[in-house]
Amino acid sequence: MLQLHRSTLIVSCLALLACVFLYSTLGVAKPFHLWKWTDIVSEGGTAVMAGSWVLFTLSSRPGGLVTRLLAGGLAMIMVGSFADCMDEFFAVSKAARWDHWLEMLVPLGMLVLTCGMYYWRHEQFRLNEHLQKRERLFRDHRAFDRITQLANADYLRRQIRHEQAQRPGRPCALVLLDIDSFHLINREFGQRQGDRVLQAVGHMLLLNLRNDDLLCRYAGDRFALLLPDTGVAEAEAMARHLAAMVGQMRHHAKDGRVSISVRHACASADIDADVLLAELGRILAASAQPTQAAHSAQAVQAKEAAQLPRSAQPVSVSVAGASA
Amino acid sequence: MIAYRQSNDSFIVARHQPALLLDYARSQDIGGEQLLRGTGLTDDEPPAAHVLLAPQQYLQLLANVMRALASSDTSFLLGQQMLPGHYGALSHALLQAQNLRQALDILCAGHARLCPLLTPRWREEGTQGSIQGCINGGTQDGRGSTHGGMAVLYWTDSFGAPSQLPALVEMHMTAVTAMCRWLGGERLPWRYCLNRSAPSHVEQHEAHLGSDLRFNCQFDAMLIDPVWLDRPWPRGNALASAAALQGVAGESPELVPSLLTALYDYLLDNIRLGPTLEGSAAAFGVSPATFKRHLARHGSHFQAELDQVRAHVAIHLFQVRGYDNEAVAQYLGFHDATNFRRSFKRWTGLVPSLLRDALLRG
Repeated sequence: MLQLHRSTLIVSCLALLACVFLYSTLGVAKPFHLWKWTDIVSEGGTAVMAGSWVLFTLSSRPGGLVTRLLAGGLAMIMVGSFADCMDEFFAVSKAARWDHWLEMLVPLGMLVLTCGMYYWRHEQFRLNEHLQKRERLFRDHRAFDRITQLANADYLRRQIRHEQAQRPGRPCALVLLDIDSFHLINREFGQRQGDRVLQAVGHMLLLNLRNDDLLCRYAGDRFALLLPDTGVAEAEAMARHLAAMVGQMRHHAKDGRVSISVRHACASADIDADVLLAELGRILAASAQPTQAAHSAQAVQAKEAAQLPRSAQPVSVSVAGASA
Repeated sequence: MIAYRQSNDSFIVARHQPALLLDYARSQDIGGEQLLRGTGLTDDEPPAAHVLLAPQQYLQLLANVMRALASSDTSFLLGQQMLPGHYGALSHALLQAQNLRQALDILCAGHARLCPLLTPRWREEGTQGSIQGCINGGTQDGRGSTHGGMAVLYWTDSFGAPSQLPALVEMHMTAVTAMCRWLGGERLPWRYCLNRSAPSHVEQHEAHLGSDLRFNCQFDAMLIDPVWLDRPWPRGNALASAAALQGVAGESPELVPSLLTALYDYLLDNIRLGPTLEGSAAAFGVSPATFKRHLARHGSHFQAELDQVRAHVAIHLFQVRGYDNEAVAQYLGFHDATNFRRSFKRWTGLVPSLLRDALLRG
């Protein structure tokens, strides 16, 4: 990222050098015993800090208005406090005004920085909209998966608990989706192609969700959907729709078309998150039968579903193989 | 005299498992100096055909990749592509295996090349109850699987990497699971016993292994009903696999087992004779001091290895033969059940009755 902003960095360095040059030519060096160490440390420290903030900002953001304002404001604060610090080493005649102008850079920089923050807020609202289906209510950058940029199972478990704690008694459904024969895609087309399939499915699912829904990459080829304010029947219908949408996808690999289908299991999210997820995982594993055994598989699933541990509230579970 | 290899003997072909690891790292945009530090490999290109790595270098490479990715699914994804692999004739033989039984036989016999870091052992239980690993040829032929029997594939550390053991076990179990699923054409109903407490990333175990998971077991094992052993695999080809197995001998010299593997087998064979450090060192043709030093290099010592084998034998006797404390104590040469009970607690952290209950419950 820093290469993008080379000119900004060069200008800031030149400004610092110009400061040193101005003070050393126009001012008179103070003797050592007159140096005020507290001022040097506080003003110099401010300059160093502001400089590091400029670097952080520039190294983490692409160019644009907000970046320019934030980095520009911080750079002005840096130069201003640096000039302030040079004041401690060189005596400048009282008649000269230029050093006051230099120190004025600090409040000016703060003004620019504030403008930058204002626009940054706007930008953040837009990004939040964009991220809405990938995260809910709190942000944890460590919980995101490298491949799909979706939150992981840890984040999902926290969200389920959060949902249960904040809104007890409200319906909330959890759907687990599993890509059929994903291991064959990996074997036949390679792991990189498998990763691309995961990305494609992730995008497809995101496009078909409501704003309040949360999509996570649970593990491997399993995705999880947390659907607040949704009953199991509605969740089941949604899951069917999503499975149909994924089934319609055309995914092209180098060596031909990859056909993708998913199967799903859903349940009401009103029992302990770990128990619920383990149970759904078991149902999905049991439904991974070859299609010719679909009928008996359905019977097995129905039996499994009936064995789901009961909590205080009745738990309803529905299962379906999506392969039509 | 029993010959053995150590963790600093170079025998792992860099083009085999290490190349797979490097390829995966590159697919995840990881590379550079950091990745190759301490591995003896020089650059990011595919290693030259003649380069050999020592187990400790391969372990270091694995540790570097795991650290760089810092993701809980790395070990599982590495396992997905580990077997049958592209390791010459042995991989061909695996690819053509006619059924699970043959695949497990090939895996156990060729483990030094197929999975150098962990040693797999498998046996079929509940029919004869012979306590012998496949390396000693202890599996009986034919089907003979009465109901209630069980096939057990369990893993032990080959070169002493206790800190990496959980990841290694995840990787190897995933490798066998994925290979059997692919070659067998369906998901096999394995039960997984893991010698660790339940981790926070249990969802990875569910997705990559299966949902029948037991944690806090005293050993790392995969269990399956013996009816799956002889079910024919769609890709199986008796002629081709036999030809490939013949090719194995001509392709490369036979490898002697690792120190820890050889010692495990030796102790298992002599467990009723009260094996000692001195006696074992003599059997391995070195002085006790050298033997101690070699074991220390693998992060272990004689008593720990002996305790592990005795714990495994005791668990086997509890589980398969239904022995009680008294009988196991007698089998292992303890004076009385109380002494045995105390020792067992020291080996495993559990008293025998608790563990027996836990094992029999499933």
